[in-house]
Amino acid sequence: MAFLEQHIHDEPKTFVSKYLISYDHKVIGKQFLFYGIFFLLVGGLMALLIRWTLAYPGVPFPVIGNLLFPHTGGVVPPDTYAMLFTMHGTIMIFFAITPILIGAFGNFCIPLMIGARDMIFPTLNMLSFWFSMASGALLLISLCLPLGAAAGGWTSYPTLSTTLGSPGAGQTLWLLSLFLFGASSTMGAVNYITTVITLRAPGMDYFKMPLTIWGIWLTSILNAIFVPVLGAGLILLTFDRVFGTTFFLAGAAATSGKGDPVLFQHVFWIFGHPEVYILILPAWGIVSDLLSFFSRKPAFGYKMTALSLTAITILSTVVYGHHMYTTQMSPLLTQSFMTLTMLISMPSAVFFANWLGTLWKGSIRFTSPMLFSLGVVFVFGLGGLTGLYLASTSIDLYLHDTYFVVGHFHYTMAASVLLGGFAGTYFWFPKMFGRMMDEKLAKIHFWATMIPLNGIFTGMMMMGWAGMHRRLYNPFIYEFTQNLIPLNKFVTYCAITMGLVQFIFLYNFFKTIFGKNIPQASSNPWEVGTLEWTIPSPAPHYNFKEIPHVKCGPHELGNPNLTDGKDFQYQTEELVKA
Amino acid sequence: MATKAQIQEEKVFQNSVAMTVTLIAFGMMFATLFLGYFLVRANAAVWPPVEIQNMPKLLPFLSTLVMGLSSLTYFKMEKSESQRSLYWSLTFALGIVFLVLQWILWAALKEKGILVSNGNVPSMVIAFTWIHAAHILLGLIALLWLGKFVLKKKEELTVIKLMNVGKFWHFLGVIWLLIYLMMFVL
Amino acid sequence: MSISFSERLLGLISNVYEISAKSVSFWESFQPPEDISSNGHLIEWLFYYTTYVNLFWFALVVIGLFGFSFLYSQKRHKKPVYTHGNEKKHLFITAFIAVGVFLSVDLVITKVSSRDMKESFWNFDDSGDTVKVQVLAQQWAWNFRYAGADGEFNTADDVVTLNNMRVPMGKKIFIQMTSKDVIHAFYLPNARVKADAIPGRFSKLWFDANKAGEYEIACAEMCGTHHYLMKAQLTVLTQEDFASWVNESQSMAIATNDTEDVNLRWGWKWGSK
Repeated sequence: MAFLEQHIHDEPKTFVSKYLISYDHKVIGKQFLFYGIFFLLVGGLMALLIRWTLAYPGVPFPVIGNLLFPHTGGVVPPDTYAMLFTMHGTIMIFFAITPILIGAFGNFCIPLMIGARDMIFPTLNMLSFWFSMASGALLLISLCLPLGAAAGGWTSYPTLSTTLGSPGAGQTLWLLSLFLFGASSTMGAVNYITTVITLRAPGMDYFKMPLTIWGIWLTSILNAIFVPVLGAGLILLTFDRVFGTTFFLAGAAATSGKGDPVLFQHVFWIFGHPEVYILILPAWGIVSDLLSFFSRKPAFGYKMTALSLTAITILSTVVYGHHMYTTQMSPLLTQSFMTLTMLISMPSAVFFANWLGTLWKGSIRFTSPMLFSLGVVFVFGLGGLTGLYLASTSIDLYLHDTYFVVGHFHYTMAASVLLGGFAGTYFWFPKMFGRMMDEKLAKIHFWATMIPLNGIFTGMMMMGWAGMHRRLYNPFIYEFTQNLIPLNKFVTYCAITMGLVQFIFLYNFFKTIFGKNIPQASSNPWEVGTLEWTIPSPAPHYNFKEIPHVKCGPHELGNPNLTDGKDFQYQTEELVKA
Repeated sequence: MATKAQIQEEKVFQNSVAMTVTLIAFGMMFATLFLGYFLVRANAAVWPPVEIQNMPKLLPFLSTLVMGLSSLTYFKMEKSESQRSLYWSLTFALGIVFLVLQWILWAALKEKGILVSNGNVPSMVIAFTWIHAAHILLGLIALLWLGKFVLKKKEELTVIKLMNVGKFWHFLGVIWLLIYLMMFVL
Repeated sequence: MSISFSERLLGLISNVYEISAKSVSFWESFQPPEDISSNGHLIEWLFYYTTYVNLFWFALVVIGLFGFSFLYSQKRHKKPVYTHGNEKKHLFITAFIAVGVFLSVDLVITKVSSRDMKESFWNFDDSGDTVKVQVLAQQWAWNFRYAGADGEFNTADDVVTLNNMRVPMGKKIFIQMTSKDVIHAFYLPNARVKADAIPGRFSKLWFDANKAGEYEIACAEMCGTHHYLMKAQLTVLTQEDFASWVNESQSMAIATNDTEDVNLRWGWKWGSK
C-alpha cells in the first residue's frame, strides 16, 4: 500500500472561509473548543442553580435570580429544578465534554500528531461541526418553550418522557437535538477512524502513535458503534411521542396498546455505558502522554497501556446492566453484569500503575499541563475505586439513585475529564494560537479548582452513604436527611468557589488569544518530540511542508546517549541506542 | 512518487474503511431495532399476537424481489461500462417501485386494522419498515447524485463513488431481507 | 427576602460552628439512618470492607503520586532514568498489582454480593407467617393494600392505606409493587433496600423490621415535578398492635367501602407476573 500524500490547498482568504465555513481541521477544532466552552458555562450556571436550591431551599438565587424567575421572586421553582438537572447533565455530556475532548482535541491533534495535512474527509468534518451547532441551537430553543425544556432526567426514561409524563415540545426537541448530535458524532467518528487507519505518516506504526491518538481513536470506535444505538432509542421514543406508536408505553400512558418501558433502559444503557468510556478515553490518552512529556522519560509500559485501553474499550460494551440492577432483571443476567463489570478493574489498574511508573525516577517539570495531569491521576484513582461499590448488586440496593452515584460519576467524568481537558488546552494552546497562556494564572487556576472540586464530590459521596437520594427539589422534607444540611451547604460553597475560579481560566484564555503585545510562542515550547512540535506555532494551514517520516516512538525523552544538547528526540529522528 | 494505480488502490482502501465504519454505524442502529423485536418476541406468551394477525404476505414478498433485483441491476451498472446509464435508470426505477410498494403495504396494514397505537408489535412492524424506507430515500438521493456522473460519463471519479453508493445500497437490501424474514416470514 | 452579604458570611461561619456545636457530630451526620432490618448489616459490612481495601490501594496511589512528585521533581532529580517500562520485571509488577486489586476487592465483593443476594435479598420464599403487602406507586403518592382475613387480594375486606405502611415487628414483610403511571422506586432507607415500581409489570421486595417506631419511605426514581414530595410513612408496630389494627381496619373496610368503586380495586392476584 503506497502512502498517499494529501496535497497543499491554497490558504483561505475571506473571513467566512477562514473562520466560519472552514474545511481546515485546526479551525474546526477551535470552533468545537469555543462551542464547548460556551456550553460548559451554561451547564455550569445550571449546576450552581441546583446547588443553590439544595443549600438554601426557598431563598432567591443571588444577582440574576429575579431575572431568571420573576414569577417566584428569584426562587427556583420545582418544575424548573427538574429541567435544570436534566439539562445540566445533557449539556455537560453532549455539548461540553464531547465537543471539547473529542471535537476539539480530536480534530486538532489527530492530523498533526500522525503527520497528515488534514482529516481524510474535510467536508464531512465541516458538516459534523455545523450539525453540532444545529443540535445546540435546538436545545437552547427548547429552554424558551412555554412548557419548558425536557425535565425527565438526562436519561429520559419512559413513561416519564412520554407525552403523558412530559407534555409539550421540550422533550421532543431534546430528542431531535440529540439525534442531530448523534449524526454529528457519527460523522466525526467515521472521519477519525479512517484518518488514523489510512493517513498515518510513513513509519508511524500503531505502536508509535501518541497515546492521545490511541485514546481518541478508541473513543471514535465506540462512538461509531454505540451512538447509533442511542439514535434508535431516540427515534422510537420520538415515534411514541409524535406518531402514536406504543414501544415504551405502559400503565396510564398506554391508552390503547402497550409496550415495555424497560426496553428503553436496555437500549439507552447499551449506549450509555460505552458513552461514559467515550468521554474518558481521550483524557486518559492525553494524560498518558503528558505524564511522560513532563517527567522527561518514556511512557512506562506504553504498549501495555495501549492494550489496556483497548481491553477496557471492549469490556465496556458488555457491562451496561449495572445501571439497571433495580429493574430486577433475571438473577443470572444481573450476576453476569456484576462479574463483567468487576473485570474492568484489571486493565484499569494496569494503565494506572503505568502512570505511576512513568513518574517514577523521572525529572518532573510542574508545568500547568503536568499539574492538571497529576490532578487527573488523583481524581480518577478515587473516582474509579468508588465504582466498585456500585458494581456490587447488594450494595447497589442501598446506593442506587443516591448522591453516591452522583459523586462517583462526577469524579470520573466531570473531575477527570475536566482536568484532562484543561491539561490539553494549556498544552496545545501554543500550537493552536501561537502564544503561551500565562503560567502563573494557570497554576492558580489548578489549585483553586482542585481543592473545591474534591470538596464537592467527596461531600456528595458522603451524602450518598447517608442515604440521601437524588433529583430532589428539597431533600429536607425527609427526616433522615436533616443532618446533611450543613454538608449540603459546604458542597454548595465549594461549587460556587470552583465556578468563580473558572473565570481565571476564561480571562487567561481570551486575553492570550485576543490581547495585544503577547509574545509569539516557539515551535516547541514544551520540548517534546511528537510531530506537531516539528512545525511552527501556530501551525500553518497546510501543517507539514513535507510529510514527515517517522523513525522512533512518541516518548523518546531522557535517553542518556543523546549528543545534540536536547534531552528528547523528535519522532522524525533515527532512534539513538541507549 | 506513487503511480496512478497505487494512488487508485490507496483511495479504494480509504473509502472501503470509511464505508465499512459508516455501515457499522447504520447497522448498529438497525441492530438495536432488531434487538428490541427479538426481546419482545422471545418474551411474548403467544406468537403472533392478535394485533398482527393477517399481515399481508404478497406485498412484502414483492418488495423483497424488487430490492434483490435492484441490487442486481446496481451490480451490473458497476461492471458494464457501455450500458451503465441503462442499469442506473433500472436501479433508480426499482428503488421508486420499492417505496411505492411500501406505501401500499402501510395502507394495507391500516385497512386490516394493524395500527401503531394497538401495541408495541404493530408499532415495530410499521415503524421499522418506515425507518428502512427513510434510508431507501437517502439511498435514492445518493443514486441521483451518482447519476450526475454516470449519465454525464465522468470516468475518473466513478469507480470509488460507485463502490461507496453501492455498499450503502446493498446494505439496505440486506436490512430489508432481514426485516422481511424476521417479521413477515418467521 | 434577600440576604445581605454580611448575613451570608455570618451564616458561613456559623455553619462550620453548627456542625460541631450540634448534638450530631460531623462523623455522625453522614452515617446511614438507623438500620432496623435483619439484612441491612450485610450491605454495611461489604461497604466497610470495600472502603478499607480501597483506602489501602488509594493510599498506594497517593504515596506514589505525592512521593514521586516530591522525590523526582526536576530540582531534586536532574537525570531521569530512561526506561520504557517494558522489561519482564516491569510487566510482572504491573500484573501483580492488577491481580492484587482484582483479588482483594473485585473477587471478594463479587462473592459476598452473590451470596448475600442469593441467601438473603433474593430469597422470596413468602410461605409461613409473613405479611404480604401490595404497593401501587403513583404520581405522587404511595398506596398500600393488605389482603384482610380472606387472604385474597382485591376483595372487599382488603385494607387500603395512603402514604402509610404499617407492619409488625419481627416478621418478614413481602411486597409486590407496580406503578400506575411512570417509573417510581420504593426505597426504605432504614432497611437499606429499594426496587423500581414499573408500570405494566410487577416487582418485588422483602424486608423485616426489628424495632417499633415511625420511619420513612421515599421514592428513588425521578417521577416528575413532585418527586421530592413522594414521602410515605413506615409505621412498625408490635405484633399485637398490628393484628388489632388489621382486624379493626378490615371490619371498617367491609362496612364502609363502596364495593362498586373501581378505583379501589387496583389490587391483583398475589404472585402475578
